[in-house]
Amino acid sequence: MTILFWMIFQVVMIALAAPLFDGIARVLRARLQSRKGPPDFFQTYRDIIKLYKRSRTAPRCAHWFFTYAPFFLYATGAAMLAAMPITYGGLESVGYADIFVLVYLAALLKFVFGVASIDSGNPFAAVGGSREQMIGVFVEPVLIISLLVVMLLAGTSNLVVIQQMVLNGEVGFFMPAYAVASISFLWAMYVESGRNPYDLAEAEQELQEGVLGEYSGSDFGIAQAALILKQFAMIGLFITIFQPWNFGLEHPFLALIVFLVKAGVFYVAAVFIDNFGARYKLLSGFKSNATAALSISVVALVLYIVGV
Amino acid sequence: MAQVYLLFLVGCVVSILLYKKNELAAKVGFSIAAVSSLYGIIYFLSNLGVTSEMNFGNDFLFNPHFVLDPIGNFFSFVICLIAFAASVYAIQYSQEYAKKGSLAVMAMLYNLFIVSMLLVIAAANVFWFMIFWEVMTVVSYFLICFNDSKQSMRATIIYMGIAHLGGAMILTAFLLLAGQSGSLDFASFANVDLSAGMATAIFLLAFIGFGSKAGMFPMHVWLPKAHPAAPSNVSALMSGVMIKVALFGIIKFCLWLPVMEWWGLLIITIGAISALLGILYALTQHDYKALLAYSSVENIGIILLGIGTGVYGMASGSPVLAAVGFLGGMFHILNHATFKGLLFLGAGSVLYTTHTKDMEVLGGLARKMPYTAFAFLVGSMAITALPPLNGFMSEWVTYQALIQGAMGEGVSSRTVFTVSIVALALTGALAVMCFVKVYTVIFGGTPRDEKIWENAREVPVSMIAGMFILVVGCFAFGLGANVVVEQIMSVVTGFTGGSFVSTDGMAVKSPLGSIVSTPFISLILLGSLMLPFVTLIVFKANRDKPRKTDPWACGFKYSSRMQMTASPFTGDLRRLMNWLFKADIHYEDQGYFKPVKYSNHARDIWWDALYAPVINFVSKMSDKIEKMQNGNSNLYTAYILVALFFFLGISHVK
Repeated sequence: MTILFWMIFQVVMIALAAPLFDGIARVLRARLQSRKGPPDFFQTYRDIIKLYKRSRTAPRCAHWFFTYAPFFLYATGAAMLAAMPITYGGLESVGYADIFVLVYLAALLKFVFGVASIDSGNPFAAVGGSREQMIGVFVEPVLIISLLVVMLLAGTSNLVVIQQMVLNGEVGFFMPAYAVASISFLWAMYVESGRNPYDLAEAEQELQEGVLGEYSGSDFGIAQAALILKQFAMIGLFITIFQPWNFGLEHPFLALIVFLVKAGVFYVAAVFIDNFGARYKLLSGFKSNATAALSISVVALVLYIVGV
Repeated sequence: MAQVYLLFLVGCVVSILLYKKNELAAKVGFSIAAVSSLYGIIYFLSNLGVTSEMNFGNDFLFNPHFVLDPIGNFFSFVICLIAFAASVYAIQYSQEYAKKGSLAVMAMLYNLFIVSMLLVIAAANVFWFMIFWEVMTVVSYFLICFNDSKQSMRATIIYMGIAHLGGAMILTAFLLLAGQSGSLDFASFANVDLSAGMATAIFLLAFIGFGSKAGMFPMHVWLPKAHPAAPSNVSALMSGVMIKVALFGIIKFCLWLPVMEWWGLLIITIGAISALLGILYALTQHDYKALLAYSSVENIGIILLGIGTGVYGMASGSPVLAAVGFLGGMFHILNHATFKGLLFLGAGSVLYTTHTKDMEVLGGLARKMPYTAFAFLVGSMAITALPPLNGFMSEWVTYQALIQGAMGEGVSSRTVFTVSIVALALTGALAVMCFVKVYTVIFGGTPRDEKIWENAREVPVSMIAGMFILVVGCFAFGLGANVVVEQIMSVVTGFTGGSFVSTDGMAVKSPLGSIVSTPFISLILLGSLMLPFVTLIVFKANRDKPRKTDPWACGFKYSSRMQMTASPFTGDLRRLMNWLFKADIHYEDQGYFKPVKYSNHARDIWWDALYAPVINFVSKMSDKIEKMQNGNSNLYTAYILVALFFFLGISHVK
């Protein structure tokens, strides 16, 4: 039961802290674009609280799935975060912190997203839903090849064990396959965290967030918070597997703070790629970028296969 | 064990005796089938580890001798489970066919179909195996014929053609094996001394023969034509369990023959290709039953990944790998039967009330038929392997098996295993897209055809009950995965000799030390579902009833034609994959005031590449041979004489 406590603890803490990093990212992005932007780092909190106070509209045609989809999204995002062995490292037999659980929870999130988008009846939302699925199709091979290389090197899919092995130096950047896989995984993580050119935050009607087009009020607030959670979970996966160091801090609370800072740095740093990259049409963007990322991940796999 | 078969045979006889009372015959016939399969479920489950035998008359036709070992019990259990749900469903569903044919005959054939599948599993010699194998094929052919349309007749002919080809290959494999062992009894096959070439020939014949029935690539073309053509309770049985009977055959042969490593790799490769192509074609379908049939091709591929790993493990002398491979494969056999059965029953309900198989005209049905929608949603989530439902657990075990295989030495095996893991993951991503599409386009959004939507009703109670039996299965096999894995493990250990600690409390463990507990996952999911509600209370959110509006259409008046349909949802993917789909994209401009007609239907290119040439050749040859059949009896006498001389000649040469 202690493990359950730590899981809830870390999810709640991250859920509380994540909007802060979103706020920082928004301020930074505005500065880079020579806009004024939000006055301070707390704008995302204010946005969500404001949304909570607003009244709601809902499309006539939708059924119960649409109504509860924001809650499902939030639950899945939170469940993905709970799978990160941040505060409970060393307890490998929980039966939860597994790479495949995480990958399929991400699929569950996509499923809820897709169903809610078409169910809303909104044409833009459904286009967004379709693109979200396409992004999944493009990212999945890169993501799974990178993870696969790590799993094969570590000999398990248990995240807790993998994290321990990396911390103890049994698996690490001295292995070429691992090092190359980290690059391609970084790409997959970047895409999954919903950034330009794969998602245009400003063109909310069309892309990833367009799926939420029909949500309003507190539903929309929950859905937005859920997306931030999911992005933190994807970054968290990278940190857990490739950068698990935490200055040897044993105490869960301190480990969580280190994690938050690391994840926050990644989250904010993504703004730089975000702002200076070109924009593409969805298919052509992926054709050029995904091929490169896929080839890097395949290199990692080949390095493993030939046993380097 | 004889009681189970007898009960089904009673069902056959009773329903045909009630031939004059059509509706009663259906009710009684399908009820007997339901009761018999319930009895079968209990019987096979409680005797899972027991080997039982039965004999009918010692010298009658090659000694009708039937043996059920633990694998046989497992497959019989799966058959009875789906048969139970499908029979309960059929009690009221069959009324749909009251005008199309005799329900008494339908109920009789249905009972016969189930019993023939069970007897194929139990048969202990070549003769009876082949007899029931063919009975199974022929009866399923008749059952498809209840949907009497031009399309379904074409489908059945294709089905029969490929089934015969497969049957011939299986028979050849059996006879080659029997020739070496000197007996037609299965018991004599276990320790046959075979040369490598002979063993390979037998294996390939059996693999292709059974594979064609299982719908594996490239013999899959008949499956998406035949399965959707059948009445839905029969589709559920065909896609849910009949194709599994073929997999049973493959497993049997692999246990008899001295397996080689490359056989395992071949099975895995074919499995990976079937999985990927199956789901890609499923994505492009508009006919939801054909979509489900293509998705069966995909799932057969996933099962073959598990079985292939098992075969590889046996051949490479690693019993633990063999055990985990077969465990994954057989667990997925059970799970696929459950959710594919469920989805076909759900599709049947939609068809029952809307009378169309084209999903582009459906929509919004969840508000009209909430139970069916819920059942279909659970099936869709289970088949896309979303935790904590059952599909996830079996795919997880399969992943573990493949990873363990990929950790072995040898570049070729590592390549095959790793590539198939990637294929499996990609299949997962595509499956999400596919089932989001099929669920939401049918049940979500606004109705695309008001008239169909107005007439739609929730289906009768026995149909709902039939679906919910399998809904419970999807949850139970997922949440109770530890129990299921333990049971299957005992079966698998029996024939591979390998074993490992597969469970830990409520969790499932792999030999790699990975561990997953579905009850814990659902606990966390439920717990995190509480979180947003807590924030709603803490921040005193405004939860007044939402104002109902039309969806936002950028200021234009909303029309249901603006809504997403099935084909644009997969539009990007079609464009990306057009090198494979080779779709004829067709526009037709009908002037300014009428909508443009646009069609983009993917083609199964394997049909054109592999089957069309053969069919064309055969029909050309038959045209030539036709000249010999001129109806002149003198000529026929001459043929007979020629044939006689020919055989006399042969006997003299010897």
